[in-house]
Amino acid sequence: MRERARIVTRWGMVIDLDRCTGCVACEVACKSENNIATVPPDQAAMGRAKSWMKVVAEVEGEFPDTSLHFYPRPCMQCDNPPCVKVCPVAATYINDEGTVAQIYARCIGCRYCANACPYTVKYFNWYGPEWADSERQHLNPDVSVRPKGVIEKCTFCHHRLQQAREDARAEGRVLREEDYQPACQEACPTAAIVFGDLENSTHRVRQLKDDPRSMRLMEDLGTAPKVYYLRPRE
Amino acid sequence: MRHDVREKLARMSPDEQTLLRPLVETSRTFYISAAALGAIGLWGLYAYYLQVRYGLGRTGLNRPEYWGIYIISFVFFIGISHAGTLISAILRVAKAEWRRSITRSAELITVIVIGFGAIQPIIDLGRPDRALNIIFNAQFRSPLLWDVMSIGLYFFSCTIYLYVPLLPDLALIRDSGIKMPRLYRFLAAGYHDTPAQRARLERVIGVLSLAVIPIAISVHTIIGWIFAMTLRPMWHSTIFGPYFVMGAIYSGIGAILVAMVVLRRVYHLEQYFKDVHFDYLGRMLLLFSLLWFYFTFAEYLTVFYGAEPAEMRVFWAKISGPFAIPFWTMVLGAFVIPFVLMSRQATRTPRGTLIAGMAVVVGMWLERYNIVVPTSVNPIWELESLAHYMPSWIELSIMAATFAGFILLYMVATKFIPIVSIWEIREGRQESVKQVADRVATYLPDSSLPAGVVES
Amino acid sequence: MSPSRRSFLWTMGAAATAYGIQDTTRVFWSPEPASQAGWTPGIEKHLTSTCLVCPARCGIRGRVVDGSLIRLTGNSLHPMNRGGICPRGVAGVQMLYHPERIAAPLVRVGPRGGARWRAVSREDALVLLLERLRELRSAGHPETLALLAGFCSGTMEDVWRQFLTAYGSPNYVADDYQDGTESVMRLMHGIDRRPGYDLERAAFVLSFGAPLFESWWSPLQAFVAYADPDERNGQRPRFVQVDTRFSRTAAQAQEWVGIRPDTHGVLALGIAYVIIRDQLYDTRFVADHVSGFEDSIDAEGHLREGYRSMVLRSYRTEEVSAATGVPVERITSLARAFAENQPAIAVCGMDVTHAQRGLMAGMAVHSLNVLMGSVNRPGGVLFGQDPPVAPLVTPVMDDTATIGLARGPAGGAGPQLGAHGAANRFAGAVVDGEVTVDTILLYYSNPLASSIHPQTWRAALARVPFIVSFSPFLDETTSQADLVLPDLLPYERWQDASPPASYPYPVWGLARPLVDPGTSGMHSGDAVLALARQLGGSVAESLPYDSFETLLKQRARGLFAVRRGMLLGNAFERRNQRRMEERGWWLAEHAEFEPFWQDLVERGGWTDPFFDHTDPARLAQTASGRVELMPDAFARGAVAAGLGPASYLALDTVKSAASTDFPLRLIPYRLSTLASGTLALERWMSEAPSLFPNVHWNPWVEVHPETARALGFHDSDYVWVVSSRGRIRAQLKVFPGTAPDNVCLPYGLRHPDGALANPLQLLDGDHDVLSGLASWSSTFVRLERA
Ligand SMILES: Nc1nc2c(c(=O)[nH]1)N[C@H]1C(S)=C(S)[C@@H](COP(=O)(O)OP(=O)(O)OC[C@H]3O[C@@H](n4cnc5c(=O)[nH]c(N)nc54)[C@H](O)[C@@H]3O)O[C@H]1N2
Ligand SMILES: Nc1nc2c(c(=O)[nH]1)N[C@H]1C(S)=C(S)[C@@H](COP(=O)(O)OP(=O)(O)OC[C@H]3O[C@@H](n4cnc5c(=O)[nH]c(N)nc54)[C@H](O)[C@@H]3O)O[C@H]1N2
Ligand code: SF4
Ligand code: SF4
Ligand code: SF4
Ligand code: SF4
Ligand code: SF4
Ligand SMILES: [Mo]
Repeated sequence: MRERARIVTRWGMVIDLDRCTGCVACEVACKSENNIATVPPDQAAMGRAKSWMKVVAEVEGEFPDTSLHFYPRPCMQCDNPPCVKVCPVAATYINDEGTVAQIYARCIGCRYCANACPYTVKYFNWYGPEWADSERQHLNPDVSVRPKGVIEKCTFCHHRLQQAREDARAEGRVLREEDYQPACQEACPTAAIVFGDLENSTHRVRQLKDDPRSMRLMEDLGTAPKVYYLRPRE
Repeated sequence: MRHDVREKLARMSPDEQTLLRPLVETSRTFYISAAALGAIGLWGLYAYYLQVRYGLGRTGLNRPEYWGIYIISFVFFIGISHAGTLISAILRVAKAEWRRSITRSAELITVIVIGFGAIQPIIDLGRPDRALNIIFNAQFRSPLLWDVMSIGLYFFSCTIYLYVPLLPDLALIRDSGIKMPRLYRFLAAGYHDTPAQRARLERVIGVLSLAVIPIAISVHTIIGWIFAMTLRPMWHSTIFGPYFVMGAIYSGIGAILVAMVVLRRVYHLEQYFKDVHFDYLGRMLLLFSLLWFYFTFAEYLTVFYGAEPAEMRVFWAKISGPFAIPFWTMVLGAFVIPFVLMSRQATRTPRGTLIAGMAVVVGMWLERYNIVVPTSVNPIWELESLAHYMPSWIELSIMAATFAGFILLYMVATKFIPIVSIWEIREGRQESVKQVADRVATYLPDSSLPAGVVES
Repeated sequence: MSPSRRSFLWTMGAAATAYGIQDTTRVFWSPEPASQAGWTPGIEKHLTSTCLVCPARCGIRGRVVDGSLIRLTGNSLHPMNRGGICPRGVAGVQMLYHPERIAAPLVRVGPRGGARWRAVSREDALVLLLERLRELRSAGHPETLALLAGFCSGTMEDVWRQFLTAYGSPNYVADDYQDGTESVMRLMHGIDRRPGYDLERAAFVLSFGAPLFESWWSPLQAFVAYADPDERNGQRPRFVQVDTRFSRTAAQAQEWVGIRPDTHGVLALGIAYVIIRDQLYDTRFVADHVSGFEDSIDAEGHLREGYRSMVLRSYRTEEVSAATGVPVERITSLARAFAENQPAIAVCGMDVTHAQRGLMAGMAVHSLNVLMGSVNRPGGVLFGQDPPVAPLVTPVMDDTATIGLARGPAGGAGPQLGAHGAANRFAGAVVDGEVTVDTILLYYSNPLASSIHPQTWRAALARVPFIVSFSPFLDETTSQADLVLPDLLPYERWQDASPPASYPYPVWGLARPLVDPGTSGMHSGDAVLALARQLGGSVAESLPYDSFETLLKQRARGLFAVRRGMLLGNAFERRNQRRMEERGWWLAEHAEFEPFWQDLVERGGWTDPFFDHTDPARLAQTASGRVELMPDAFARGAVAAGLGPASYLALDTVKSAASTDFPLRLIPYRLSTLASGTLALERWMSEAPSLFPNVHWNPWVEVHPETARALGFHDSDYVWVVSSRGRIRAQLKVFPGTAPDNVCLPYGLRHPDGALANPLQLLDGDHDVLSGLASWSSTFVRLERA
């Protein structure tokens, strides 16, 4: 059997809504990192565009008393993920470190998980991805391109963890907080996204998740998301 | 009809003559309708080919409207399938004598419709090529898997439940030699209607009719659970299991009524599907329309009182929003029309039940639509929900083909098996009148003894 | 059924099934990244460069695998963006590998604009152009060569200017849309430079319509000020956004103030009123460094009203409130907050200056900085300096060149106070036949799409016999070209790229090739150098450089020699350097130039984090040596332009709906997701250009819910936005942050078929007579069902 240090690791994210300016750099960075193809205009109009990270805006009030909040919304990586329970073939599962992953090669495309996810973060490949020939050159070789007919979603940039592990092993050291950071975090110009191990007291996410401003989306559902939000100040 | 067949037929009893005639005599209308239905079926196959070839993108589905026509059809057809087996099983168990002429047509609906229902989720798969993963990588916490199992079992048991009571009739056809002797020799499987065989047969039927009831209930309960096990507004509801079962039986009765009226006309079965059958089934329909109303009312009232924002969005979308037309049409079809027509003796006629039955079938289809679509387009997290759903011609073609295929197979089946159970009618004529009289006698207080005295 | 018919049907059925199966078996085959077919671990590099997608010029890093650019991220050593990046920056990979990139130099075949081309080699293309240029010079008419230079700065601009000068053409036509603040600064400070803003150290930022967090000169600069965790101990400036629409900047600012269009200047003076009335201004600074505050007697003995009297007389709070729509208490509290939270900055957006009284409005906003002494001090308005790179060689001019240059620029010098709108004046002069242009070079410019007057440009280009475009894309204007010499894309070329003036510290950012250029295009800089070399004579002497890369290296010697500043470094290194320089020290990191250059390329550039606030030349270079609140030149200009002696804004300048035909005011605005102007869009951007979840690939117009209801429109309906000059089809988006009498239409959007929907082309032509800048928000429109 595989031997594993009995240290629990739970990767998680804290998004500071006070810092987020809704610039959507995270969205595009995620698309670039994870080979997310666009769909043609008519398809987008049908609601088939994909964006594993989506900055959702909530508007309140009318001019001139308007207010607006941005919620950058990746997969919540629930500790108690409804999507995992319903998948008939375990193509979506929660791994040892709490990350909810997808096995594209196993998914039968029933979209049950997508319906079960209360955050609507699962995206289906209604058609196969389309890249212009020239655009294939910028595809990230570390991330597989999803074929048609399967579900996909934010993976917490899992391939980066594998890479970081390999690098750390090669250099003979333990994995540091900054070794494994997802693409959205890396791009965010206001450092609104913080990523790390929720169980590791030296990681910033661990401290921030206990901040008084901390909350999770639809906490009452009991899905126990590993993505926390810090409410705007004031 | 060939001359020798006609002669053979002429030698048989009047029941047999009427009921076997469709097996050997086929009208022009039959061929024309069959050809038309076949054409629709092929068109649907072509549509499915396109869908496989190019992807589910050819449907009108999207995010968050992940499920559409196929899942609606799935729930609907599996619902219809409760017609048969469940009704015939209950009537058999309850020893309702008036069942004798209607069980066969109902059981036939069941078997055929399960098949068409069961393929819907496969049509709906993004990767039908991987459908078997459901066996290789089964994940037992998924209600979808329970569903696969229960439908499998259901199909299996219903087929047997259709087949076993068929044996005496198959043997009869084999012995009469009016049609395909080799085929019927094979189908009849050595059944010769000896008293021992008959006794065994009746025992098996008795057991099957008991067994099939929980299986059928489980099937539609689980289908309800597929929805209820998610956290989506107006799906996540404990009432869904029983609600779905009730609805399934309801739509099943509606479907049988329609089938009976049609069969009665085309095969001149007025003597078998009598007014009393329609009257009794009409009463059942009335009962179920009230049940339906009760369940639906309970469901919506609880939602309304809970007044959770996400649920209310779906609620209002149905009551007065974009889904008001399908919703109120559903209420009309599934409650108002059947209730009004079936509550009066004067309209519990074949014609009245036909109208009510069709209204129920349509209403129940819409019920499935109203369950699947409004919730789909209103996810809990409403900030970005701007969804809409318009089925594509591919989906509509496949749906049409499913209906056509079902009707076609049913038609063809009536050319191979008597649509009214001959031996059960015979049995009814020969034995049950007396049996019933005896039975009724046992219900009554014994008039020869004074009260309090027990016969030893 | 007869057997033959039956077998026929069977055969048909079998054949159809066989075909279907055969046809569908491969449909689930999934496309893998090119590099995954027979995948081997790739050779991976992380290279530093500078983003050239917009004028902000952020530092970036590219991840390159096997020679392909995979990902772009921010360069954490760059002092302005510090590792952050904006969505357009990230999407650069899609610009590099854009399917619509021109594959090779093109020569037109058939009629102009007929979209028929012949591909030629780079050498042949250069020869074609060279022959033309030789002819013009030998005919003695070098001035008939013109360059329309859009997005052009740094060494690229220097090279073009040097080339034209040596060649003999005065027609370097800037198509670069100045934002008007440089004119304000020239008038008030005598410094002809756009101001920089020390946002990072400010305590209070009052933005008048400047889209700081979206599409400002450098949104990343604003982001860093908003959120940099390292440098500010969690303290951030208080951002207040005054805007006509509820923009994303307004959303994220701590406070937003909705205001009527064109009244930003009035509000600024209303704030000044409270500050002066309540004695909240910096009396020391005003006394020591400002003139025009108090009334004075001029040389001829006339009384000249000072700023104080003017403000106190004309900008009483109630009146300002009525004009701007901002409540009285709000004005008062804004003024108090501005005065009490020092250092405070008032930033002026482009739409303040792109208005009929734009120059005055810009001055009004900036006067708040002057009142509070928020100039040339930490956390205030700063005038930066260009990085001290080595100059180009002095241009050599032969007789032909001298004659040509003497003929002066086409279209003349322009308005005295602004000198803006050169491109449109040039086009007008060509159309009117005032000048003859034989050959026009288009560099980073697409006037047929971006100009407010595309018809004028169309007519002008029709009169130019030879049009050469350097664009790598077949944009609207390039489609009309006779010769296309496609430039390399930013990730394939060498270029220096300094942040815009809004970032006050000098940075010399360096863009260098992240990937091999391949053979499709040619660096326009190298093309100019090659042309100069082959033209020979004085032109060649003026540009004696082998390649753009060597030229940049040559210029970097200036940085090596200057004995200040540092190569880009992290926060610690920057702070350290600043402290040292404050004490007058400087340590050389490199003894030799070669390693200095290597390191500079590696780190992405050079910067100097030290700002000398004691230098009086960085406060005012006017004749009096003081900051002018009421500049003479302005008063004279106003009189000359027929605006009368009114020295400042009148309250009644707000234009209202001219007629009921056009009841709604059009507010164009710039999206954070779209690059300047008219570029072919990256798909990621087209798919999700805004925060409206259901807007994709489509122009849209934002309308207040009440307005939409009154007009009978629903969200997502298609409408025409109609002005007296034209109309644009757009999807209506109900947005409660739009004022009821305005509609907002973003720039740069295209229809799904690629056609541009440019709101600037609806503008009614109003402009500021003093600066020459077009008024961008004073056009009225109506909505019609489409
Ligand atoms: N629709 C619309 N019109 C606008 C504006 C707007 O936002 N939208 N903004 C206005 C403003 S403020 C400005 S500054 C102007 C800008 O307008 P222009 O000066 O015309 O600039 P752009 O349209 O951004 O780009 C011009 C062309 O440069 C080419 N180009 C792109 N990359 C390269 C390159 O690497 N090398 C070379 N040589 N060429 C390249 C592209 O073909 C592009 O069409 O437009 C004004 N007009
Ligand atoms: N993302 C991005 N950034 C860019 C560019 C880009 O294309 N994209 N382009 C760069 C270039 S070339 C330029 S020129 C600059 C331009 O940058 P800006 O000068 O900032 O121009 P706009 O983005 O058009 O923003 C104008 C703002 O003024 C407000 N406004 C609207 N109407 C009025 C009015 O009547 N009066 C006043 N006072 N304000 C009004 C608008 O709401 C809007 O917020 O941006 C640069 N930065
Ligand atoms: S990149 Fe950061 S600031 Fe921008 S939208 Fe995403 S989380 Fe918000
Ligand atoms: S769509 Fe794929 S991942 Fe989702 S439930 Fe079905 S098989 Fe599982
Ligand atoms: S957010 Fe949705 S997809 Fe992600 S883990 Fe939770 S339920 Fe699953
Ligand atoms: S963690 Fe990775 S996959 Fe998830 S949203 Fe961020 S960039 Fe995308
Ligand atoms: S702000 Fe401009 S320069 Fe900076 S990353 Fe974005 S596009 Fe590039
Ligand atoms: Mo601009």
